[in-house]
Amino acid sequence: MLTETYDVLIIGSGHSGGMAAKILTEYGIRCIMLNAGPVADVTRDAQHKHAYELPYRGFRPPGQIEHVFQSNGFNANVWVDEREVPYTSKEDQPYNWVRVRLFGGRSLFWSRQSFRLSDYEFKAKSHDGFGEDWPISHADLAPYYSRVEGILRVMGAQDGVPQLPNGNFIPDDAPWTLALQRFIEVTKPRGIPVCKQRRALGRDGLASSVNLLLPDAEATGKLTSVANAVVRELTVDKNTGLPNGCNFVDRLTHREMSVKARAVVLAAGTLESTRILLNSNLANSSGVVGRYLMDQVYGPGVLASVPQARRGNINAWMGSAAIVPRFRNITSKTDKFLRGYAINTTASVEAVPARNFALYGAELQRKLDEYFGSGFYMTIMGEVLGRYENHVRINKDRKDAWGIPVLHVDTKYTDNEFNMAKDAVDTACELADAAGFEILSKNDKPNPPGYSIHEVGTCRMGDDPKKSVLNRFSQSHDHKNLFVVDGAQFTSAGWQNPTTTILALSMRASEYLAGEMMRQNI
Amino acid sequence: MRRRDFVRAVLAVGAAPKLLLGQQAAAPPPPPAPVPWLLGLNAKTPMPQVAAAEEVAAAQLRFFSTQQMATLARLSDVLMPPVGEKPGALQARTPMFLDFLIGSSSGDRQKLYSSGLEWLNGESKKKYNTEFARLTDQQAGELLKPWMRTWLNDHPPTEEHADFVNIVHDDIRTATVNSREWSAAPEKGREPRTEEELYWSPIQPDLSPQSGRALSVQPHVQAVPPSKHRIPSYQR
Repeated sequence: MLTETYDVLIIGSGHSGGMAAKILTEYGIRCIMLNAGPVADVTRDAQHKHAYELPYRGFRPPGQIEHVFQSNGFNANVWVDEREVPYTSKEDQPYNWVRVRLFGGRSLFWSRQSFRLSDYEFKAKSHDGFGEDWPISHADLAPYYSRVEGILRVMGAQDGVPQLPNGNFIPDDAPWTLALQRFIEVTKPRGIPVCKQRRALGRDGLASSVNLLLPDAEATGKLTSVANAVVRELTVDKNTGLPNGCNFVDRLTHREMSVKARAVVLAAGTLESTRILLNSNLANSSGVVGRYLMDQVYGPGVLASVPQARRGNINAWMGSAAIVPRFRNITSKTDKFLRGYAINTTASVEAVPARNFALYGAELQRKLDEYFGSGFYMTIMGEVLGRYENHVRINKDRKDAWGIPVLHVDTKYTDNEFNMAKDAVDTACELADAAGFEILSKNDKPNPPGYSIHEVGTCRMGDDPKKSVLNRFSQSHDHKNLFVVDGAQFTSAGWQNPTTTILALSMRASEYLAGEMMRQNI
Repeated sequence: MRRRDFVRAVLAVGAAPKLLLGQQAAAPPPPPAPVPWLLGLNAKTPMPQVAAAEEVAAAQLRFFSTQQMATLARLSDVLMPPVGEKPGALQARTPMFLDFLIGSSSGDRQKLYSSGLEWLNGESKKKYNTEFARLTDQQAGELLKPWMRTWLNDHPPTEEHADFVNIVHDDIRTATVNSREWSAAPEKGREPRTEEELYWSPIQPDLSPQSGRALSVQPHVQAVPPSKHRIPSYQR
């Protein structure tokens, strides 16, 4: 069956691939989707357990996923095993590549924060002179954002802040709790906006491609999906020079297989899509495939305690969460760094972690009892600048379990990111002090690049084929039937979680591809 | 199969049709021996009750030296003694668990523990002229408290000695709270709870990097039956 030629080959089944499958099949286009990992069946593969029933009492199994700080003994088996699919980096430049190859990819596990980029991101170079503008603006993407927000069922408020555009939201009109009211009192005179969180409600507790996108594609009867298909490289038609499918390896049997298609959509996740392109020697006349790797600074933050909420006085004071959108370099300019950061703010009703007290034993437990439910978290999401030297390339000396050359990640943060992190922590401390909250602990050191799981860039879009890999429709400048619809296409990172933008871009690119195929331009 | 058994089996098979004709209303007879090997297990098969090895057997020290383990045991008792109804680290067998965990961990982690325990014991000898394992709670506290720090997740102190003291404290707490002993003890106040979550087993783990089994796995079809779960259809 796999010897026939499909209309479109989609590589990857996460949000970007799922959206491509939904849009294309709804246009009647026959698609084949390959996913490198298996289908996760929660009824077969998962069960509730206590930590003591696990091999390492809930600790992350040593050696398996050393770079996945988010992992623990419960979820260790959902991430890509680094012994199976390794990658390399310099010892003094660690990179945390956090991967999921289950069907649905990382759309199965995400925080669901759903923010639009604004023209402070799309036209960033015009604003501050650094990097490149995107070839599109918020107005180009706005209709797609609205449709994506409808599918994800994003709850939020129309805050009317230019750096955080309004959207198609399920209204969040819940009142702020007292801790957030107190916080807003001190941010307002400083010109720092505080907005309601914007979070995808999804359906049945999930906002993934497997429940929101793929069912629509499957209902058309036009989608064929294959699990455990690890793509080795794209294949090329010798006559036209255009990609015409791919070679892949069956994950379990190591059988070498291939599929043919008239067009190829890469949606394997930023760095896997780029790895496939680099291993295929395609789409790189610009020389920038793999270049301008970006993400967001995570790790710096402050934990304070709200005194009024201690000793069990939680209900009126705690429980809200807010987003402080970027406020630096919007209407004023700081000389410490370009761009800016957001602050995720949570008035938690949970226990304050023990590490926030320099105590132990019974004395520590008394403190934990007293401070229970009074934790006020402020953590940053800071924009990382796109730099040519921050890149990935193929490491020809190392191969994965299927003999496919691995990626070498060569990236590091600069003073711009470090200064941004320090400013964020200083500001959060100032706000906590002003609000009368007690600062328990703080950190201004970023986690290693990649930790945010918001890696973007490496196949950036632009109008100039000499400086970019893709055009404004996520289409390769070099090969008209090749599209990259995941985070690889980002021209700048922004501070926002990228998922909503990835979905909107994939929807837009897929509708363009469908039109081009129906007009027989592809 | 012995010849006598084989003959008995052949006779039984030969007699079966005649017997069936005479007993059409009765339950079908049991299948003739030998039965197919692997078809006996079914959903009604009782599940044997088994204990976790850790509950009933002594673990062997495999990473720390005897001296280091003595220091770690005392340190565990000082940092996480029994509080209220909840067991302390010693009752939760945390030191031996950490021997297992750290023995499997990266070289950096192993070095942090080994050198940290050696340093702590050395400090004890310098200040009190005795092993750390023999210190009173107050003496141990005098050594440890100057190194206690506050810190955010993923960012423990990097200062020498403070890194060891705070990381080992965090590990001792996690291992103790996540023990069966802690979970079984009654909850009186706002003590931390043993983590209980959805545990994901290895998902189609045929390709195991630790073994050479990967290439000998029998090919099998990976298609998922489309009807296994209801496909949701949402109003939009």
